[in-house]
Amino acid sequence: MGGHGTSGGPKVLQGSAVRIRRRIPRGEKIVLGIVPIVAILALWTLFTTGTVEERVISSTILPSPMEVVGAVGSLWFQAELSRSIVASFSRVLLGFAVAFLIAFPLGIAMGAWSRVRALFEPLSVFGSYLPIPALVPLTMSMFGIGEMQKIMFLGLAFLIYLLPLIVKAVDEVDDVYLQTAYTMGATQWQTVRHVLFSVAAPQIVQAMRMGFGIGWTYIILAEMVAADRGLGQIIIIAQRRGPREHIYLVLLVIVLIAYLTDRLWVYLARNLFPYREAK
Amino acid sequence: MAEKKSGLTPLGKAVVVIFILACIGGAGYFFRDTIFPKAGAKGGVDLDKFKQEQGVEAKDPTGITTVSTYTYVPSQKLPAVKGTSAYKWDATAKTVKFPINVWIGWLPIVAANHGFAPNTDSVFYKKYGFKVDLKLIDDPVTARDAYASGESHVLWGTLDMMVLFAPELMKDSRTAPRIFQQIDWSNGGDGIVVRSSIASVKDLKGKTVVYAQNSPSQYFINNLLLNAGIQPSEVKHKYTSTAFEAAAAFVADAKIDACVSWAPDIYNIPEKVKGTRILTTTTDANKLIADVWALRADFAKDHPEVVEGLVAGIFEGMKGLKDETFKGQAFQWMAEGYGMTVDDVKSMANDAHSTNFAENKDFFLNANSPSNFERTWKNVTFVYKELGLIDTPARFDEVMDFSVLQALEKKGTFADSKNEYVTQFEPSSYQKVNAEKPILTQTIRINFYPNSSNIFEPQHDELGNAQKSTLYDPNVDATLEKVARLAGQYDRAVIAIVGHADSSMKGKIQEDPVVKLSLERANSVKDALVKKYQFDPNKFQVTGKGWAEPADATQPDNQALNRRVEISIYPPESK
Repeated sequence: MGGHGTSGGPKVLQGSAVRIRRRIPRGEKIVLGIVPIVAILALWTLFTTGTVEERVISSTILPSPMEVVGAVGSLWFQAELSRSIVASFSRVLLGFAVAFLIAFPLGIAMGAWSRVRALFEPLSVFGSYLPIPALVPLTMSMFGIGEMQKIMFLGLAFLIYLLPLIVKAVDEVDDVYLQTAYTMGATQWQTVRHVLFSVAAPQIVQAMRMGFGIGWTYIILAEMVAADRGLGQIIIIAQRRGPREHIYLVLLVIVLIAYLTDRLWVYLARNLFPYREAK
Repeated sequence: MAEKKSGLTPLGKAVVVIFILACIGGAGYFFRDTIFPKAGAKGGVDLDKFKQEQGVEAKDPTGITTVSTYTYVPSQKLPAVKGTSAYKWDATAKTVKFPINVWIGWLPIVAANHGFAPNTDSVFYKKYGFKVDLKLIDDPVTARDAYASGESHVLWGTLDMMVLFAPELMKDSRTAPRIFQQIDWSNGGDGIVVRSSIASVKDLKGKTVVYAQNSPSQYFINNLLLNAGIQPSEVKHKYTSTAFEAAAAFVADAKIDACVSWAPDIYNIPEKVKGTRILTTTTDANKLIADVWALRADFAKDHPEVVEGLVAGIFEGMKGLKDETFKGQAFQWMAEGYGMTVDDVKSMANDAHSTNFAENKDFFLNANSPSNFERTWKNVTFVYKELGLIDTPARFDEVMDFSVLQALEKKGTFADSKNEYVTQFEPSSYQKVNAEKPILTQTIRINFYPNSSNIFEPQHDELGNAQKSTLYDPNVDATLEKVARLAGQYDRAVIAIVGHADSSMKGKIQEDPVVKLSLERANSVKDALVKKYQFDPNKFQVTGKGWAEPADATQPDNQALNRRVEISIYPPESK
């Protein structure tokens, strides 16, 4: 060990090298987080001020922040924002549930038994390379054009993302725990249930937290076919016949939803695994 | 209770929580329409609104027989371009960026340009000194965004797509679309395929239809539904993003009763899927879907000579295609540009009819043509307004610019051009035409003066003297306009006009004079249409049914309903 010692006390932490990963005060963290957002807003305003014809970026591409805010009313009442949020959220949630029901047992099994892993790993690797949009027509011919197709399409996207993460979570369980379990005479099932799953659980929840956003990135594709309403559907319509403002508003709404659901995951992790503070 | 806790018991806490939740729930329920609003009811259309969409000129009880040409100057109605132009342009290379989709209608410009890439052999370069870069951008949203950002100068589209695009693009006067030329009429390229149980548009009531939203398909089907007297809300609409997907969904899901799609799918499905048939295509509705291109207003303002060169060059391409060898070469160029085989391109050859100079004049300048730019634009606007797709539509004269056509006419460049898109009708009879089921039947009401068959009958005073410059039915022009538009869209179809009379005198008088009166009334509708809109008289087959067929069998004595004229569209094969 070097001269700085291992205690990690702030007094001894000096010199540029130890600044890495240094904790910063909460206030500073918040301020730093706001800076890029303000910068983006400032640039946005700069590019879109003046009469329509004087702007750097035409309003037919990017409306000004104030114009976007001004479209909240029509987004809420004409485009049925609240109903669309409910529709999209339930699609994402159900798609996630479908994917989890497959990825969870399969991922644990792949992490536990090499034969299962050998069987599915190639598929899992290929899957993560696939441009999933190309699979929309296929999901249509398999599941029709109703809700099922949207849920299954999102489920597919989730599955491809979740599976490797769950396998990785199980992989990261230290062999020491397994050895201990064997020594104590645990059966194979008991080892999987009480060692692999229990130890990997926080990591699995972390994987779910990270994966939940994937559904939202595919929402436009999911709602391209025969969606009565939905956030993706609002964007699709606004791209064609306006107002342009709705596109950017919906993006903001999705950011807001992302923030809130992420908080929820953090809260869930804290309560499930109080012994292991989720970052 | 010895304990004196200041807090609540678990039961108390539960009660408080339930109370609060109940309050939130109650408030939520009370404000449910604000929290979960539903956009204004779509459908519920007053079908007589067709009547408010007035024609091109003031009410004219006498009708007119001459070709009437617009007399205004386009630049006075088009929105002025403000600010500095914002498109990309290299003044030395002079290359117009012209995106197109996969559609045979672009063959003339591909021919004129000698391929897709800008080159010095093209008509545009040799005759007009600029180059054209044709780029395949099949996705309309991408094409629109490239146009709005100034990357391309041209926006391809059908006129019905332009109605949807225009209000947003006109927010910036520089990207406002200017339409100078019609490329083609869809002529078999679009169609509606149904399950065999659907005999006529009327049968679609309560059924499920699938089509690509915001596309010509949406206009095609909803225009038909409205004309057949079906509210859009009486049909279940399922949307896809492309016509290809709509066809695939129809094939995959037997619960879907109809799909609107494109060639070749519309012809392949009835061959391959049992129990399906074509209801109608743009072979019948051969003047319904107009393909055009629009220029950015700032570009059009800065480069009038390029605009004229583009329009004239495309007409020259159309002329050149009359030569079969050159046409073969053009197919080759198109196949290369699209990355398709020559055979695939040739198989699209019958999807569209290229509109030459004379036909463009008819479309842009003839105010009496039942399927001209103005009427097409207004009809699209009507349909999309009723569907709740647009709030503040653009006016037709804010996008239509016929100045180039007028300039070319003055120069006499295409003086030899003739309207080749005219349907010849053989004399026929109602019985012959009626042998088949009509695609669509539209019921119209004209209030005839008792015992009169004159649709322009004036009002009469108490003594029975006709009042000059009055009309017994003041809506008659608008009613005729509605029929004329439908008949114009279905330019190739045969139309039956059936007159009905009320049965108020049943039992008191003989039936014969009533039948005769209903026939005369049908004839007077026909005559008015032929006179005002210059239809071929043989397009219409007329009959009178007297009081034999009440409008509603369940209430045969509803005489107001019974006094009517029915317009039925029959596929051209049945004549």
